Amino acid sequence: MSATSKQPSSSLLQLAGIVLLVIAAGLMFVVGGEKDPSRPALGWLIGASFWLSALIGMLFLLMIWWLFDAGWSVILRRQIEHAISGFLPIGLVLLPLILFSALNPDSPLVPWSWMYPNNPVAGSAEAVSQDPLYLHKAGYLNTTFFTIRFAIYFIAWAGLAWLFRRWSFMMDQTGDHKYIYRSRMLAAIGIPVTALAATFAAFDWYMSLEFHWFSTMYGVWFFASSMRIALATIVLLMFWLASREDGLKGILQRTHFYFMGCLMLAFTIFWAYISFSQYFLIYSANIPELTFWYNIREINKDGTRNTWFWISMVLVFANFLIPFLYLLWHKNKFGERLKFIAVWILFFQLADVYWNILPGKVPYADGSDYFQREFSIGIVDILVLLGVAALVLGAFVKSFQTYRPIPIRDPRIEESLNCHE
Amino acid sequence: MSKTYGILALFESAPAIYQAAKKVRSAGYTKWDVFTPFPVHGLDGAMGIKRSKVPVFTFIGGLMGFTLGMTIVWYMGYLDYPLIVGGMPYYSPVFPFPVAYELTILLAAFGTLIGMFTLNKLPMHYHPVMNYEKFRHLTDDKFAVVIEAEDELFNESEVRELFAGLHPTEITVITEEEKA
Repeated sequence: MSATSKQPSSSLLQLAGIVLLVIAAGLMFVVGGEKDPSRPALGWLIGASFWLSALIGMLFLLMIWWLFDAGWSVILRRQIEHAISGFLPIGLVLLPLILFSALNPDSPLVPWSWMYPNNPVAGSAEAVSQDPLYLHKAGYLNTTFFTIRFAIYFIAWAGLAWLFRRWSFMMDQTGDHKYIYRSRMLAAIGIPVTALAATFAAFDWYMSLEFHWFSTMYGVWFFASSMRIALATIVLLMFWLASREDGLKGILQRTHFYFMGCLMLAFTIFWAYISFSQYFLIYSANIPELTFWYNIREINKDGTRNTWFWISMVLVFANFLIPFLYLLWHKNKFGERLKFIAVWILFFQLADVYWNILPGKVPYADGSDYFQREFSIGIVDILVLLGVAALVLGAFVKSFQTYRPIPIRDPRIEESLNCHE
Repeated sequence: MSKTYGILALFESAPAIYQAAKKVRSAGYTKWDVFTPFPVHGLDGAMGIKRSKVPVFTFIGGLMGFTLGMTIVWYMGYLDYPLIVGGMPYYSPVFPFPVAYELTILLAAFGTLIGMFTLNKLPMHYHPVMNYEKFRHLTDDKFAVVIEAEDELFNESEVRELFAGLHPTEITVITEEEKA
């Protein structure tokens, strides 16, 4: 057989993704259990959000590179252009969850308890429809607007991705530099648009799970988290591509990895800065409406430590301190050492996504009392995580094989091919 | 009395000086330097210069800043003048963090500055190569490599032979005034 038979098949990847997701969807209605029926839906949200974060981070990076007219990154920009074709599949994975919740708000499977007015509110005798904090937010936080916003976010992200891809591929054919100016202009518009969409998406999907809580830092946290996931993902993709003859072997330079390592260090610090700032402000203000969100991530109702306390410690030390000190060293930003820390960051950033989405006060069905959801890894989480990864990788591979792997007619391609410290 | 500082070879282009640096390095000399009017990419590598040690100073400065910030708050709030503020403990690593963080950055910056000036020996008001009559060209359009007489392998005829093989524009002996 010829060498082409070894090429990764995009349709096989996409098929695998769909099979995994179909199994996960079936399990959603089975594995929930009476005590915590919405847990599988949260697993679906976690799995899809993790890779959605990666794509949002990549879209930001792409627009930043356009805006700053970056030369070294032109080869990597094209890899992002391949990857962001995955916005549509991820939107299609999240869409059923949103539609199911909007159409059956009374179902116990729905993770957003504010959607149904008769749902009990944890720690209160009143239902959602009488809850003062909900009523105050109801103008924004209602099912109709929630669904419309979901569509707006994905139109914004996928639309920007479509335009950037289209113009960059057009330049491959015509060599016309007008697409550079267009893309730079679009990047200037796209950054605030993507930032607003990401911020409000984080409010809608994750923060509203505990709709009593509010934090203006939350959107920035989502951005920081997205950038870390995106950078680690790109670095791993780079290693994969650099190892393959049909990939980018011999094209990716040592310096590309070094610069990505520097960016990973910067966003490790940024993530810690944002996460700590949010904690610090709430700690200092010491207002019960805000502190409860951290309390359920640290202690049980009786004041003893719960599983989230240990995850919190893991986030402080394994997700910040160790990668921070590790990436300070110049020699750790190359080769196997960089690959190691990219896998490390991806793993612990997933823990951060769990930590932000999963904990919550879950009322019992009769509304008499509530319990706090502990850390757990569900079968749905894993299936969705792998399924969406396969879908996005399939989209990447398809784009990589359809269009030029690197933008050969970009005026700065030489600069990127001979990238130098 | 004047004595020999070293031997200089003058070149016309960046590629020539790059190749020359490689040759001098592989000949095994240790006390030598290159003079260029602008930074030449990759010249550090060709000369075999290791990465700067400035980050070590930065790191030590940062560590001192962090410790200092935490210690100040701990000493004042816990030891010297304990006060209950907003129901918080006398000391916790959470609330002094901005102080410690700012001091980390400040002392890391000081460390970088001190480290840089310690290692690059600036400001330097005099250098023997300034005695070279074409020194001003080295800040404009010419490139030079100098092997110092203090080098253990230094031998005037051998150095001249090595330079001659590199086809420089000229080879000159640089002298300096001996200190009284």
